Amino acid sequence: MLAIYKKELKSYFTSMVGYVFISLFLVVIGIYFYVYNLSNGYANFEYVLSSISFLFIVLIPILTMRLMAEEKRQKTDQLLFTSPLSEEKIIIGKYLAVLTVFVIAMVITLIYPIILTKYGTVDLKLAYAGILGFTMLGGAYLSIGLFISTLTENQVVAAVVCFIVVLLTYLMTGIAGMLPSDNCSAWIIFSVLFFIVCLVTYFMMHNITLSIGLGIIGECALAVVYFVKPSFFDGSVVKFFKWFSVIDRYDNFSLGILDLTSIIYYITLIILFLVLTVQAIKKRRWS
Amino acid sequence: MIEVKDLVKKYGNHLAVDHLSFTVEKGQILGFLGPNGAGKSTTMNMLTGYISATEGNVIIDGHDIFDEPEEAKKSIGYLPEIPPLYPDMTVREYLKFVADIKNVKKNEQEKMIEDIMKLIQIKDVSERLIKHLSKGYKQRVGLAQAIMGYPEVIILDEPTVGLDPKQIIEIRDLIKTLSKKHTVILSSHILSEISAVCDIVMIINKGKLVVTDTPENLSNHMEGANGLFLTVKGNKDTVYDVISSIPKVTKIHYEDSEEANTVSLTVYSKEHEDIREAVFYALSEAKCPIYDMHSTKMSLENIFLELTGKNDKGGLKNASDL
Repeated sequence: MLAIYKKELKSYFTSMVGYVFISLFLVVIGIYFYVYNLSNGYANFEYVLSSISFLFIVLIPILTMRLMAEEKRQKTDQLLFTSPLSEEKIIIGKYLAVLTVFVIAMVITLIYPIILTKYGTVDLKLAYAGILGFTMLGGAYLSIGLFISTLTENQVVAAVVCFIVVLLTYLMTGIAGMLPSDNCSAWIIFSVLFFIVCLVTYFMMHNITLSIGLGIIGECALAVVYFVKPSFFDGSVVKFFKWFSVIDRYDNFSLGILDLTSIIYYITLIILFLVLTVQAIKKRRWS
Repeated sequence: MIEVKDLVKKYGNHLAVDHLSFTVEKGQILGFLGPNGAGKSTTMNMLTGYISATEGNVIIDGHDIFDEPEEAKKSIGYLPEIPPLYPDMTVREYLKFVADIKNVKKNEQEKMIEDIMKLIQIKDVSERLIKHLSKGYKQRVGLAQAIMGYPEVIILDEPTVGLDPKQIIEIRDLIKTLSKKHTVILSSHILSEISAVCDIVMIINKGKLVVTDTPENLSNHMEGANGLFLTVKGNKDTVYDVISSIPKVTKIHYEDSEEANTVSLTVYSKEHEDIREAVFYALSEAKCPIYDMHSTKMSLENIFLELTGKNDKGGLKNASDL
């Protein structure tokens, strides 16, 4: 695992990617820092962070696109997967490497709040909570990016898909707000979603009885809930989609709340996508 | 050492590998032979645990590759069809990385890398980036990677592709040296290579085992193995009459003659019957001087073409069954 980690980390800095990422990140933060904190005199560094969260849409694909896709293209995955290393160790090694690059950039941002203390009183706890939240947000996105990179052997495809996914989570708050909140449409939306889930399970496992069985049980359950207790669906669509709004969770941090649910949410996301990554690799090799 | 039982790999409805079973003893060199798409690489990928089998078992050194992958993979070194190299690393960095992931002890790494570089003769390129190496050197670095950690079993998928003739001979010698301590499986479509190196040849076609035997037995037992090539001065009909009158001759096959007034032909006899003397006296009596006479053993090449050309004639376990 350490070998994979070292190799991966080194490859970020033998290629341009690591430097490009860190410098781009710091340049944008620098500009916002200048405008918000120095020029306009706000004492809150976390405002800078919440305004630059859009950067993830571009930077996450840059960091994660080559992680697995490149291994597959060069066929070096044959070396990794025939070596006495489990898939889990390989993936965790890779994830920790990309996380390290991101954390290096975040560690540099630790200086900014200290600079601000020269000009007046700054709530350092608030600023560092913001930085912590931002790091976790980035960590969750990196995990998603790693997963997407496993699905293809083309870096560009990985980058584009990752770009779209991050963009969607970014826009999710707005999309969720536009969705209908009445019970009937909630029922319909969930039915369609569940149908899609069943289709996906069919294409992944090629087991028609399982998929149809799952579909019938699920749709019946939804119908029963709708007729017996329609209030269950109250606003559930909005809630459901808001769950995917990864960036929304960061708001609590920028308000100065060290919110345990948000921390757990991000950690869950990280673990979930790492597990999915491992499963995707196993699945492809075992199909 | 390696035990393969009823290995099957299906891609959808396509059977890539069809109930393959074989065992390899310690210290043996097994050669896989087959046309493109015969399932050689698929089989090797399954042996090394890179892909799964639809059915069947692979047991390496007592460990099932699918049940205890980490244990079984410890005793395997694998050079796939395309050497798995990182273009942005130097050769030394790459070998260090391979040593790391193969759990070679830190204090042994330095020496092992030096030894292997000397063995494979890549010491002079050790500080160069892999992307700047020629195909032959890349192949060698790939081979160095497979040997790293000196695993019990070394599996090589077409190890001499892209090498020049001198290097091919060097690699062959190297493989022979390796077999003193390791069990080697290699695949190739270059038949002379297999016959030069391997103890056992397995010919597979369309995922099925066609025949498995030693290279010598294969060429001995094959139909028409004991041919006698003749170039004789004289008339075609006279020569035919003379030769067909010799007992034990079973078949006469005319070849293209290069010289005027001569006849070239290959004469076949029953197995292990020496007809050279009889041919000589018969022809000299008929006043037909022999310009050239040599025995033709059926080359592995011909055996290969003959066996893989036949449609689905699977299930033969031994060359003498033919």
